[in-house]
Amino acid sequence: MAGLLPENYQDLEPFAADWCLDTQDERQRKRRASTAEQLRSFYAAISPRISEILEEVDRFPIGQIPPSHRPLFSLALSLTEVAPNVELYAGSPAVPHAFEESRMKARHGDEKNWAGHLSRPNAVVVASS
Amino acid sequence: MDGFEFDNHRWARLYPELGTGPVPIHSYISPEHYAIEIERVFRKAWLMVGRVDEIPNPGDYKVKRLDVVKSSIILMRAKDGSVNAFHNVCSHRANKMISETGNETFGTARAALLACDFHGWVYDARGNLTGVPQEARFYACFSKEKAGLTKVHFEVWEGFIFVNLAAEPPTTLEAYLGACGRHLAGYPFADMDCQFTYSAELRCNWKVGLDAFSEAYHLGMLHGRSLPGSFSNSQEEVQLFGDHQTTALYLGAAPRFTPTAALANSLATASLMARHGASMLPPQINPERRPEFGFEMTGVFPNTIIHVTEGIWFTHQFWPLAHDKTLWQGKYYVAQPKTNSQLWATLHAQTITRNIWLEDTGTMEQTQEGLESGAKPELLFQDDEVFLRHNFNVLQKYTAAE
Repeated sequence: MAGLLPENYQDLEPFAADWCLDTQDERQRKRRASTAEQLRSFYAAISPRISEILEEVDRFPIGQIPPSHRPLFSLALSLTEVAPNVELYAGSPAVPHAFEESRMKARHGDEKNWAGHLSRPNAVVVASS
Repeated sequence: MDGFEFDNHRWARLYPELGTGPVPIHSYISPEHYAIEIERVFRKAWLMVGRVDEIPNPGDYKVKRLDVVKSSIILMRAKDGSVNAFHNVCSHRANKMISETGNETFGTARAALLACDFHGWVYDARGNLTGVPQEARFYACFSKEKAGLTKVHFEVWEGFIFVNLAAEPPTTLEAYLGACGRHLAGYPFADMDCQFTYSAELRCNWKVGLDAFSEAYHLGMLHGRSLPGSFSNSQEEVQLFGDHQTTALYLGAAPRFTPTAALANSLATASLMARHGASMLPPQINPERRPEFGFEMTGVFPNTIIHVTEGIWFTHQFWPLAHDKTLWQGKYYVAQPKTNSQLWATLHAQTITRNIWLEDTGTMEQTQEGLESGAKPELLFQDDEVFLRHNFNVLQKYTAAE
């Protein structure tokens, strides 16, 4: 079965099914639902490769990552979600001494980040009938 | 000298009129006090409800709920480029013109016209009534010219839209902001065109939220994990401007960056913890161009805090829903990333910022419960909690006035 990741990243494939998540809301939910052990093993695998991955995705202009590389970029974005918990919170899956995360809403939380430009001030645009 | 030691009590020395005694907790827990605040603060003060760049094109609108004054306000860009503000209420039978999907609802009206879903009355973006089905069947008391949407007093400062719900605002916005408005003037707010909005409904008085974000004393303890060594724990250059206030927060001498943060900081200017330049700061912000300047924190009475630094600005707002219920909104603005790696770095900064705000909001409901327990009749503020003391004094001035 073909993997989600490009050829040179097959060693990260064991993490792909769980962590190639396109939106911040999905990444946050996955981080909260993980164990400290899972967060540490994800961090240990991705962190040494992150510079290389970012160079790889920078071959494409922002917003124009082809489908072949979107999972790789989303995997890299999961490191932004997981790194603080491993580096700063001793592996705790929750942010310690904090508000209930499920009650804090992110207006941009469902944006697919490989699509490029992040939330503009008037991001939620619905045509009036 | 006066019992003060200069270093420890410098703000009390600078602003002796604020006093130094304990502060009673009544205003945080009393429904009666809240009722007075609604009438004498929120129906009289200028309230920041949005930015002109949230409605860039003709027909764009933002609907802002102001539960504290039982109102819903439409901010709308007309075909002539003007910004307009009116109550979200149809002149016919007071139905809501635009159904909200939350505290802030954004949209674009086709042909810059708003139609009421109930009976089809149509208004242009200036609020003029332009179409009424079966118009001839109304009586002599009806006049299309007089049945426009009800206008709301609004003014724009540095791209921020403020409204005033008084029948006649006591002052202009410029006079209301005074020296505070001049202090932040010239900062290029619109250049940071990438915005993250977080919000939460908190079971606490709005001032509990405001207090928690209005001092630097808590940085070392509450944010000790998320911001290791990042900030100096004290405030600098405190200035009170009438009802408003500003201070500078400096970076710590020895911040400890994690490997991921160090990489992110090398790619994008999106993290408050990194050292910044000063190319976009107006001369009155960080006037000595000190390299340890972290950010400027400016409180605009009653419920807005604006923070600016190189490449980043952010706001916190506290919208009362009841005496013990508050909608908090945190908005963080940076420049749009130009590359995928910059986008990655920006999202790392965003994640850390969110975590810090989770730590901040985590205190608020517990503080409210402590206040309501009756265990303590008053609060103790130290010298760097000068904004809390100032806010208390300003609030007293407003609530004492008719």
